[in-house]
Amino acid sequence: MTRVRVLLSLAAVAVGVGLWFALTAPPDALQGEYARLLGIHPPSMWVAFIAFGVTAFGSIMWLVKKTERWDRLAAASVEVGVIFTAIGLFTGMVWGQAVWGTAWDWQDPRLMSTAVMFFVYLGYIALRNAIDDPAIRARRSAILGTIAVVQVPLVYFSVNLFRTLHQTQSIRPDGSTMPREMSLAMLVNMGAFLILYVALMAARIEVAKDEAAAAPESTLAGEAVRPPRLSEVEDV
Amino acid sequence: MSETVVVAGTYLISYGLIAGYAVYLHLRRRRARS
Repeated sequence: MTRVRVLLSLAAVAVGVGLWFALTAPPDALQGEYARLLGIHPPSMWVAFIAFGVTAFGSIMWLVKKTERWDRLAAASVEVGVIFTAIGLFTGMVWGQAVWGTAWDWQDPRLMSTAVMFFVYLGYIALRNAIDDPAIRARRSAILGTIAVVQVPLVYFSVNLFRTLHQTQSIRPDGSTMPREMSLAMLVNMGAFLILYVALMAARIEVAKDEAAAAPESTLAGEAVRPPRLSEVEDV
Repeated sequence: MSETVVVAGTYLISYGLIAGYAVYLHLRRRRARS
């Protein structure tokens, strides 16, 4: 069994345990069954924040070391982070429709900053797909990956900095504002999503490695000119 | 629509997206290796 399969199997078990916790927690007195979205909405956004942080780390490391592995790490993490952000936005809209009476508010700082972050990282993926030269692609996406991470604290603290429909953080340094069963369901799912993130990252990195190995030496200018490999580049 | 159906559907769509991405990666890797 390969490492990726072991991780994906582990993630499937962890998600199963997380689901059990989320679906067996008692319904909320005010929100009823909608409170069960606690098991998917906050964990997916937290993991997205971590994913974009890992992208920034990989991007900075690429700018320093110029080795392919850091570029692969940054690119893989963005893709997984975008998936989790999409889930966070979708589940948040369902929850918002149920408890706020509206799925979206164009003037809400938390909602809009999350949407902007989502589209910036979609732009990162588009940027990578638009550049053929691996060295230029790695450098430009590393710069974007490093700059774009400033959005993560902005999104996270937007509920404290601005007036917004969204509640402030439920788990704080001085304790949780929720009953134990609900906090537990959220934290167990957070762990499950972290394992899922690692498994998907490992799978995405393997894809990138296999595609790089299968790619022809020359992709830019025929057989005569070979684009440099990242390991051969001093600075670009 | 009942609350339970909406919550169950939301979970289903979300995990479906993740499962779809995992399948997409599997197919992409198989194509790269062939």
